[in-house]
Amino acid sequence: MIFSAPLVYSLLMVVVASILLLLEGKWKFVCTFFFVYLTAGFFFDFVKNLDIGTSGTIILASLFLMYRIMPACAVLYYVITTTKVNEFLACMSRMHVSNKVTIPLIVMIRFFPTVYDESRAIGNAMRMRGIRLFSLRTLKSPVAFLEYRLVPLLVSVTKIGDELSIAAVTRGLSAETKRTCVATIGFRWVDAVVIAYCVAVVLFYVIPGLTGNLPSV
Amino acid sequence: MRTTGKKSSNTLVRDLVNVGIFGALYLVLSGLGASIGFIPAFIVVSTCIVSLVTSVPLFLFFSKVERPLLCCVLLCMLFGIVMTVSGHGISFGLLCVIYGVLAGLCLKLFHKNFVGCLLANVMISFVPSSMMIPLWSSTEEYLAYCSSICDKAYIAHLAELSSSYWPLIGLFGFGAAGAVVGGFIARRMMKKHFERIGLAQ
Amino acid sequence: MNISLKNISFSYSDSLDDAILKNLNLEIRSGECVVLAGESGCGKTTISKLINGLIPHYHSGTMDGDVLLGGKNTSDMTLAEISRVVGSVFQNPRSQFFNIDTDCELAFGCENLGMDPKEIKQRVENVVQEFYLEHLLGRSIFNLSGGEKQKIACASVSATGPEIFVLDEPSANLDLKTIADLKEIVSRWKRAGKTVVIVEHRLYYLRDVADRICYVKDGKIAEEWTPAELEAKGLEYATNLGLRCMNLEMLNVRDGVILSVVRQAHQPCKVPELVEGPQGSKEQDLAKQSIIFTNLTFSYHHKHPILDIDRLELPCGQITALIGHNGAGKSTLAQLLCGLQGSWRQKRAARKRGAYLIMQDVNHQLFTESVLDEVLLGMKPQNEKLALEILDGLNLKQYTENHPMALSGGQKQRVAVASGISSGCDVVVFDEPTSGLDYRQMLAVSATLKKLAASGKTLLVITHDPEFILNSCQSVIRMEQGKIVEQYPLSGNENHLIKTMVK
Repeated sequence: MIFSAPLVYSLLMVVVASILLLLEGKWKFVCTFFFVYLTAGFFFDFVKNLDIGTSGTIILASLFLMYRIMPACAVLYYVITTTKVNEFLACMSRMHVSNKVTIPLIVMIRFFPTVYDESRAIGNAMRMRGIRLFSLRTLKSPVAFLEYRLVPLLVSVTKIGDELSIAAVTRGLSAETKRTCVATIGFRWVDAVVIAYCVAVVLFYVIPGLTGNLPSV
Repeated sequence: MRTTGKKSSNTLVRDLVNVGIFGALYLVLSGLGASIGFIPAFIVVSTCIVSLVTSVPLFLFFSKVERPLLCCVLLCMLFGIVMTVSGHGISFGLLCVIYGVLAGLCLKLFHKNFVGCLLANVMISFVPSSMMIPLWSSTEEYLAYCSSICDKAYIAHLAELSSSYWPLIGLFGFGAAGAVVGGFIARRMMKKHFERIGLAQ
Repeated sequence: MNISLKNISFSYSDSLDDAILKNLNLEIRSGECVVLAGESGCGKTTISKLINGLIPHYHSGTMDGDVLLGGKNTSDMTLAEISRVVGSVFQNPRSQFFNIDTDCELAFGCENLGMDPKEIKQRVENVVQEFYLEHLLGRSIFNLSGGEKQKIACASVSATGPEIFVLDEPSANLDLKTIADLKEIVSRWKRAGKTVVIVEHRLYYLRDVADRICYVKDGKIAEEWTPAELEAKGLEYATNLGLRCMNLEMLNVRDGVILSVVRQAHQPCKVPELVEGPQGSKEQDLAKQSIIFTNLTFSYHHKHPILDIDRLELPCGQITALIGHNGAGKSTLAQLLCGLQGSWRQKRAARKRGAYLIMQDVNHQLFTESVLDEVLLGMKPQNEKLALEILDGLNLKQYTENHPMALSGGQKQRVAVASGISSGCDVVVFDEPTSGLDYRQMLAVSATLKKLAASGKTLLVITHDPEFILNSCQSVIRMEQGKIVEQYPLSGNENHLIKTMVK
């Protein structure tokens, strides 16, 4: 077999995420993902057996990022792009999770793109002034670089946060209110199938390990 | 004549939103800081970097929230939830909550003055430090897990680390030291920038 | 629903000594549309916050007096209760969305009020039809333009069916076409018998809709007019109070104060034949010279270019306005010119050319702890004397030790300009420098730009503000779908300009 066992198992799991993403019509994302994922997976085993010391670790680490974290990222991408805020809130309140936990979670998920946008704008402004990460000046005073980068980001992010909470409050969001939800949510047979499949894959991976034949790594 | 906007359920939403945005910032920054730990020699020091980088946003966070206990617990819990979802044990999540409670208590007892903020910052710095605990508490499993992702030299380095408890103490120690140094930097930043802009008192 | 503000005093601090509102009384009848106008910092936004309950429930401060909504005192209601009666739309479309997609955003308010899902669906369908939002359904918030976001915000507030609408500078980030849509929305609310309160600098689009314009000054309602009364008083009267124009057509039909002043100021450039002597001929050369940019193309998809311009000519030492509707590629052009987008070759060319972008949100480009440091930062080699000269030229000398972000909006903008000059750039690109500014502030920005142009810099200004263009620009470039449609000198073409902007 060209790939070692863990890759096969994680492939089986990745298939779930990619089918779900394909159902959403993200075929381009899935294609790129599979290409990068499989190449990373292939070279990963290759590099690991080379045993070339620290530089190997760095290559491995970056390959590892692609190979082990990318599947999780794909699932995260699916969850974030397809779960609507109101569905999530309704779901959580049905699971009796307090609004005090769900509101920060929602804001956090919504805020990653904002943090990215803001920090890109600040990066642009820094580039026009000739402040770069890889430059003599940064080497001389890393704290100053961090300051230039962090302070404007914190200022704009806190301002956006204030405006966001004002918008939420004037539209009736508070920690006590019982919300309703337009979407109907519930556990259906599709969910059961996906879960059954995942459990089956995990069992297939774990059972040989229990009997002592841990799949070759 | 009356004062307005004091501790109503509406400022609770503001606090919750603040937890959300600073949680996002904390995750991003600590992720960036921790990535230095991929170089074996820097594993022990990585916590120091993380707490250095995150202390400025944390200090701003402390000064902005009105309910320190609740907000610190929620912030740490958020981190714990994200880490639990991405593969760390439930025990880590519980540990996060405990650190959160401690940090909140520090802020409450010292009425958000510098000492309180510094202590809270140190408490929160234990959160990323605790992520490596399994290397000592269940060494074999952790090494087996790591051997599938890292090369032999790295594993050997990890195994060497796990043989004594000093590196673990080092992790926490460097994290706390980073938090203290970061705290002083953060105080300077608060004075230099945020207080003059009017974002913090 | 009637709104009445009785003897209101409010201050954001602990005592009423530095109150922003002083013993203010205001009655707004049911079904009325009232515009609150006035210079920045006069307290009109604070009045809007009193009506939507943010004061006394959210902002900390000291307050005296009562706000009654239909006989009920806001301090006895919770914010959730107030949000059933009052719907609010804010200035910044970027930060008023809690959700990531449009569908949820439309239903968000209703869901918070705990309405029945079936009814919510019905309501959302209704607003979608009313506001023509079919094409915006199911979109991500992050991919919408400012105008589209503002429409969604209005619709989603409208879905909860409040009796009162409070809008805080809703047009600040919109182009003229979208402002026309906004006007349509406001008049729809008015027809439905809702009470509408709008805090606004741009008055012209509310000319047919507003019943009353209240001029707020120093925390009091200083004057009250109907739109017709204000228009009858003439442009100069409004200008003296710091108000924007009531009628865009008046700007060009009445070849009045502003235009003639503009013409005078530009005379030497426009008619170089009249100027004689060696100095004059030098100026003549400058007027004829222009900076030429080539190969300005950019696309994410090679089939759908966002920007496709072979040749762009900017007259040297002049202010050129860049107009076009949202999404025409203006911002992309600006980023390309400044080397923030595009291939490495384009970026390298941009770096050589030295164009500097003043962003719409200047907060992004202020890094240091003092204004002087800010100017010194990009300088090579650092020269404090030169930096002070630059700051003096921009009237910032007394602020050298202040924190840049603690300054007012206009001052921040000037600091950013100063830092651009200090990095030795010849071309300065402005991205909407006058959005959300009152008349006086707009004039100040305009003066800064003119000074800059007079010192030999070439300026390109992205803007949606006709008053500003007439005030300060010499030529106009109009873009549509990533291409330059026309380029013409402003003088003599004022009518054409306004026609194309409103269209």
